Parts: sequence; C-alpha cells; structure tokens
Amino acid sequence: MIIAFLTPAMLCYLIVFLYPSIRTFIMSFFKIVSVTDPIKASNFIGFGNYHKLFHTQLFLQSMSNIGKIWFFGGVGVMLIALLFAVALTSGMKHVKFFRSVIYLPNVVSAVAMGTMWINYVYNSDYGLLHNFFKTLHMTKASQFLYTGQDHLFWSMLVAYCFGMVGYHMLIFMSSIEQIPKDYHEAALLEGANAWQRFFHVTLPYLRGCIRTNLVMWTVFTVGFFVWGQLFSPVNLSNATVAPMNYMYEMVFGASSSANTVRDSGAGAAIGVCMMVIVLIVFALTNLITKNDDTQM
Amino acid sequence: MKKKQINLEHTNQKKLIPAYIFIGLWVVFTFMLIGWVVFASFSTSNEIFSDHMFRFETGFHIENYAKAWKTQKVSVFFMNSLLYTVVSCSAIILISAPAAYVLSRFAFKGNNISQMLLASALGIPVIMIIMPLFGIVSKLHLTNNRWLLMFLYIAMNVPFTVFYLLAFFKSLSVTYEEAAYIDGCSPMGTFWKIMLPLVQPGIVTVTIFNFITIWNEYFMSLIFANKQNVRPVAVGLYNMIQAMRYTGDWGGMFASVVIVFLPTFILYIFLSDRIIAGVTAGAIKG
Repeated sequence: MIIAFLTPAMLCYLIVFLYPSIRTFIMSFFKIVSVTDPIKASNFIGFGNYHKLFHTQLFLQSMSNIGKIWFFGGVGVMLIALLFAVALTSGMKHVKFFRSVIYLPNVVSAVAMGTMWINYVYNSDYGLLHNFFKTLHMTKASQFLYTGQDHLFWSMLVAYCFGMVGYHMLIFMSSIEQIPKDYHEAALLEGANAWQRFFHVTLPYLRGCIRTNLVMWTVFTVGFFVWGQLFSPVNLSNATVAPMNYMYEMVFGASSSANTVRDSGAGAAIGVCMMVIVLIVFALTNLITKNDDTQM
Repeated sequence: MKKKQINLEHTNQKKLIPAYIFIGLWVVFTFMLIGWVVFASFSTSNEIFSDHMFRFETGFHIENYAKAWKTQKVSVFFMNSLLYTVVSCSAIILISAPAAYVLSRFAFKGNNISQMLLASALGIPVIMIIMPLFGIVSKLHLTNNRWLLMFLYIAMNVPFTVFYLLAFFKSLSVTYEEAAYIDGCSPMGTFWKIMLPLVQPGIVTVTIFNFITIWNEYFMSLIFANKQNVRPVAVGLYNMIQAMRYTGDWGGMFASVVIVFLPTFILYIFLSDRIIAGVTAGAIKG
C-alpha cells in the first residue's frame, strides 16, 4: 500500500524535478547549441559557459536587474507588507475586506495585471498618472514617459511590487496573530509605547516569518520573467532583461533579435546560477534563524 | 470599566486614521485598475483615447466581448485553460492525497528522504528544469500536445499539494483508523472511504490554489504550446495583446483581459477567506 500510494507522486518528482535538474547541471559544463543535442556528442568545456556568461554584457545587465529587483523591490515590498500587516492586526475595522483587496492582484493573471499598468496607469495620453498630475496642473509630471527607456525599469518594478505586497502581508499577518496577547498586555502595563512594543515584542517574534518571506521573495525574483516580457515585448532591452528572459532568448530564441546566439550550455549555466542564488539565500536565512534560536 | 474600554477603543481608532488613509488609497487604486479595464472593455478605441470615456456616449459596446470571444479566439484559449485546469486539478489530488496520507501515517525507510525531496521541489526554479524537459519532449515529438501540457502541470504541482495535505492528515486522530480496522475495513478502504473525506477542507483549498496557479501559468505553456489551438489563456492573451496593439482594437483587447481574469476573480470573490487561510498555512511549511 505504501508503494502504491507513494509511487505516482515520487515519479512525478523524479521526472519533472530531479532528473531535469541533474541534467541541467551537467549540461552547464558542456558546449551544447540546441537543447535536443545529446550530451555525449558535445565537448566538455568545464566552466567555459560560466566564464562566457560573466563576460557577456546582457547577462551581467540581467543579473544587476534582478539584483536591483531583489534589493529595492524587496525592501519596499517587505516594509509596506509589514506596515499593512501591523495596521490590520491592531484593531482596524473591515480587516477581511482590506486584506482580500490587497491580496487580489495575486489571483489575477500577471499578463492581465501588466496590461492594466502599461495601458492605463502608465499611459501618457489618458493614463491614471497622466490625468492625476494634469488635474494638479503639474504639466511636467503629467507628460512624464513612464514606459520610456530611461524609466522603464523602475516603472516595471513598481508595477511588479504592487502585486507582491499582498502575499507577504498575509504571511506577516498570520505570524503577528500568533503572538500571545499577554505579551502585548504585559508590555503595555509596563508602559511601553506602540513603537517599543513593535520593536521589542512583535519584531523578535517574526524571525521565522521574515525568513519565509525572504526565501519566497528570492524564489519569485529568480523566476522573474513575465513582467520583463510584458514591458519589452519585442526585443530584450537592457532595462527589463532578467536572467530567465535571457535564457529564453538563448535557448528557445523566439524573437527576431540578432544579439543572442543559440547556446543551451550557457542557458543551463544560467539555470545553475539561479539555483545557487536560492540555495545561498536559503542557507543564510537558516543560519540567521538558528543563531537567534540559541540566543533566546 | 466598560466606559473606559470604549474610550480606549475610540482613541485606538483615531490613532489608526493614517493607516486607514494609506490602506484606503491602496484599495481605491486596486479598484481603479480593475474598474478601468472593465469600463474600457465596453468602450470603443476612440472613446478610450478621448478624455470622456466613462460617458458611454455611443452606448455599452458589448459586442467587444463577442468579437474577442469569436474572432480573437479567446474562446479557444478559454476552453483549453478550462480543460487543463479541471483535468490537472483532479489528477493532482488523486496523486497527492494518497502520497500525503502514507507519508503522514506510516513510519518506513525512505519516509523522511521522500519528504525532503518533495520539499526541495518547492525551491527548484523553473529555469533549472525547463531545458532537459524540452529536450525530452521534442525528441518524443510531444510539443503542442494537450496531454503533455497537463502532465507537466500535474507533476509540477504535486510536491506543493502533498505538503499541503500532509499537515491535514497529521492533524487527524488515529482512532478513525482503529475503529475502521475493528469494523473490518481494509487499509485501502479506510483511506478512500474515511480518511479522504475527512480532509475535504484541505483538498478544496489546495485545489483552488492549483486552479489559480494553472489558470495563470505562463512560462511552461509559452514553451510547450506554441500553436494557437492548444494555447491556454495567459499565453493566448499575451499574443493577442501584441497583435491588437497593431490592429488598434483596444476595446476588444480589454474585453479579452476581462474574460481572462474573470474566472479567478469570481472564484476569489466567493472564496477569498479560504484562499487567504490557505496562503498562510502553505507558507508556514514552505
């Protein structure tokens, strides 16, 4: 019974996760042009693919882009999410309604969300920001080209982060709700103000959940793809390229751009780099929470 | 005493005014985003570009929806996605629930390692697995195959679902099985007839999740479904938007956007409490 019940699930895992991961890892050390080429017929080039990647401007740009997304987006999303979570758990009314609306962008297709941002909020003829600044008679701000090359990255980042706040807020909220009420009452009796209670009661309690949020944020950032494609649909652009977009271009070569050559080995190397990033963040966050536990 | 409490509550609400304003603005903005698309989907391209689009001077253009549904093939994408999500969601449960049950109930060699392996799948990025998968699939000439796409959706969501259901099975008391055993029910029968119905709430929540994930899935279908007749909504919508930018049928484009997000949106309106409870339960383990 154990075997019969467990086998299908494990097979799914082996076929779709384990085997491909190992093969991608091996592929990253070989010179392979097309994904369908067998590894046996290819040349082992050691870290050649990695070396080449780290000397390719577009790849470095893509890494710097997700680095910026991870850091600036991460700081922004986590702060807003934490702020909302604290506010919603401190006795506001209509909490259910608010949190449902804030989480809403997560259930809507990213393609649909992106279309709304590009064609409505950022539109320079009739868009929300355009009209908003126009009514304030701020002509300069109303004529600002949000989707122009210079501002494309930040516009994309804001649109992306807007949708992510809800998820992280829910995780913060569930942890905050688990903090025993006595702690806050005790602190209140001792005369602690709201800030002191936040920093000395709430925040220390949230370590585990900050870790979850960090790991998930990293996993999401590494998988950053749709938004980059939505904001520069035709060719890869420096402003929006993420490693996954670059890999897609190199391996599956869909668009007409001539600046990328088919190279699946390098594509695999990008995959391995992304995996390593996730592992590093996972290990680091593990370390932090472990140390904290021993101190407590 | 009671009076004092009310007072405390009152000042508390006053203190929260900045929070109300900030969150209120956020909520209003979300509504404007979605509301605008809905309004735009009933307008003509000319009206969208003018500054009086909400007056509907030429009436509600419901035909935008008819156009999008028929001529823009939204119907094809929609039906594909419906098929993919319904079949995948059912199969995911059929595969994951037994595995989760076994992993939660029986101590055997390899139990821990199986759990660890499945957990590792939650952190493996798609980019790490996509190339070999595509290699195998194109060798077998299975690109643009509906069943293949469904298989991938199923296999990719099994680890998360197993994990999710594991906690539910763990919380059930062993007395159910003992009673079933005394009454002469076989272990298999116990699972299907007694244990599975007991975790129904968990199954419903995780299925809503899988539904949303698969409905909105983009990357896999971009690579494995590049023919129009097998495309699901996300990729179909993306291609349509790119095409409509050139044809200039903005009303039709926004109508397509609405059609695509409507199913998950409606699901969310009715089941948001469940979904939200699910997010937090899933994340604690993840």
